[in-house]
Amino acid sequence: MLEHLLPQLFNGLILGAFYAVVALGLSLIMNLTGTINMAHGSFLTLAGYLAFALVTRGTSFWFALLVAPLLTVAVGIIVERTLMRPLYGREPFYSLLLTFGLSLVAEEVYRLIWGANGVPFSPPPSLAGTAQLGFMTFPSYRLFIALALIVVIVALTLFLTHTRFGLRLRAAVLDSEMIAALGTNTQILYMINFGIGILLAGIAGVLAAGLLGLSPTSGNALLMPAFVCVIIGGMGSLFGSIAGGVLVGVAISLTTLYIPAASEVAMYILMAIVLLVRPRGLFGEEGIFG
Amino acid sequence: MSLQRLGLVASLAVAVLLLFAPQIGPLIHLDTSIVSEVLLFAIAAMSVNLLLGYTGLPAFGNAAFFGLGSYGAGLSIHYFNAGFFLAIVIGIAAALLGALLIGPFLLRRRGIYFGLLTIAFGQVFYFIAYRMTNITGGEDGMNFPRPLVHLGGTTIKIDDVIFYYLSYVVFFIALIAFWYLVRSPFGHTLIAIKQNEVRVRYLGLNSDRFIFVALIVAALYAGLAGALYGLLIMFTFPLALDWHQSGDFVLMLILGGQGSVWGPLVGALIYVVGKDIISTITPAWQIFLGGLFIACVLGFPKGLLGTTISALLARERESDDSAEAAAALEISVPR
Repeated sequence: MLEHLLPQLFNGLILGAFYAVVALGLSLIMNLTGTINMAHGSFLTLAGYLAFALVTRGTSFWFALLVAPLLTVAVGIIVERTLMRPLYGREPFYSLLLTFGLSLVAEEVYRLIWGANGVPFSPPPSLAGTAQLGFMTFPSYRLFIALALIVVIVALTLFLTHTRFGLRLRAAVLDSEMIAALGTNTQILYMINFGIGILLAGIAGVLAAGLLGLSPTSGNALLMPAFVCVIIGGMGSLFGSIAGGVLVGVAISLTTLYIPAASEVAMYILMAIVLLVRPRGLFGEEGIFG
Repeated sequence: MSLQRLGLVASLAVAVLLLFAPQIGPLIHLDTSIVSEVLLFAIAAMSVNLLLGYTGLPAFGNAAFFGLGSYGAGLSIHYFNAGFFLAIVIGIAAALLGALLIGPFLLRRRGIYFGLLTIAFGQVFYFIAYRMTNITGGEDGMNFPRPLVHLGGTTIKIDDVIFYYLSYVVFFIALIAFWYLVRSPFGHTLIAIKQNEVRVRYLGLNSDRFIFVALIVAALYAGLAGALYGLLIMFTFPLALDWHQSGDFVLMLILGGQGSVWGPLVGALIYVVGKDIISTITPAWQIFLGGLFIACVLGFPKGLLGTTISALLARERESDDSAEAAAALEISVPR
């Protein structure tokens, strides 16, 4: 059993890194504007399909990995300016409803363009093999994903803690009115913040397409776990989203190994326990969103 | 004519009109079972209305109770040959049990967090139904017959028309009960919680307890609707538990008008009939559905009925010189 445990644990960590990156995007948007983006999964799918479209037109995987998320961000910013903007300051429930509608439209549009069944999207040949890690062998593509996602998370952390813009962003989460009074254009702040959230979704979307498959609803498979990660980690805490992602990823992969039938329910049980012991989430602050 | 009297007359007109739905429906190509579906979905939307419209809780997981009702009825017929009414009771009991199980967790949070929790805990039931293939039929769902009813020596086969009248009676009992509920002290407390929960707590009321009871009542309504829906289509399936189904119930409520007693029926009517018409024209019904969500939120968040009532209220206020009285009322209510 033990020789299965280590690779499965590593798989869990990769899955967890996916959840963490998606949850980070959700948290960024939620913390600053109090809106909840149920269409986040649709942006993951969009990035995957855009990368697929690029690769089938002859570009390299690396080019697609770079460009598809940026194109997704462009779509995201249009959505933010037109649909999300009227929702700021309204009951958060309306954003839930609107983005839910948006995800339904997106799903159907993908279905019309790329078909109801999944399309094949495989990682580049250079990452197709396996890598020797000394203590175990592991698919190269998974290893690459792990590294890429860690880079993304570290880059986001550095951006938020070491740039002026990141400082403004964090300050606006605490008191956006004060930041506006001090001369920052908060509308642009909201827009860029949403863009960063979508960029995270876009990168995760392209990487996930090669691992978990690509279909009109494939991105949504990552959405629900990401919400659970946000709840477990605690709303208002970005670190919490990361920790929640890792916990959920490991919990899912370990239950898949030992009790396969319970793999989906495992994260909800984890969430229930956290809610009982610490309702605000592991790293959440008291009083944020009730 | 005062607004109250207008409301009463309109309500009676709707009740009479619905009474003849099986006769009128075929004239406009509307199947009787479709009209039954409207009534049952309206009951499910009422369940959302109690939580969202009256208590201000973003309930996005009511399909869990709906689906539990449907599975409760279906499984009890399939495995235990339960009778028609017993199946409904078991369906409701399943939904209530579900609410008792997840209610204490949902109570821990408010606002958008509550919404996420309702989705997340609702999905637990979806995955259970999806995974326990040998009991529930898994992804494919499960067919079951509609039991015969034995009444005083005679055996009645419940056809679509009888089923419709049964739904009709159940719907109006549910509606009148709802009407009384939201006008009772309990209902007023829920509305107070929507407006300012902190103040309700300072008044010495345990708001958690009120919300818990509201959840139980919501589960009762959704479970009842689900059990009947299962018996209507003689089929139960995991997607009835899914949060997309919850979203549809919320949409019906928002379409009609949250916080109004008739809103759910109006919304369910638009939803079901609209879906029936559009899906015959194009398979991409989901684009219209999603567009409807977006239009509702941005265009008319009060819903069709809510917007109409507001307009009527505004006109009444203008016409019968009660503007002053209204202004006086504003002053006497401390903000």
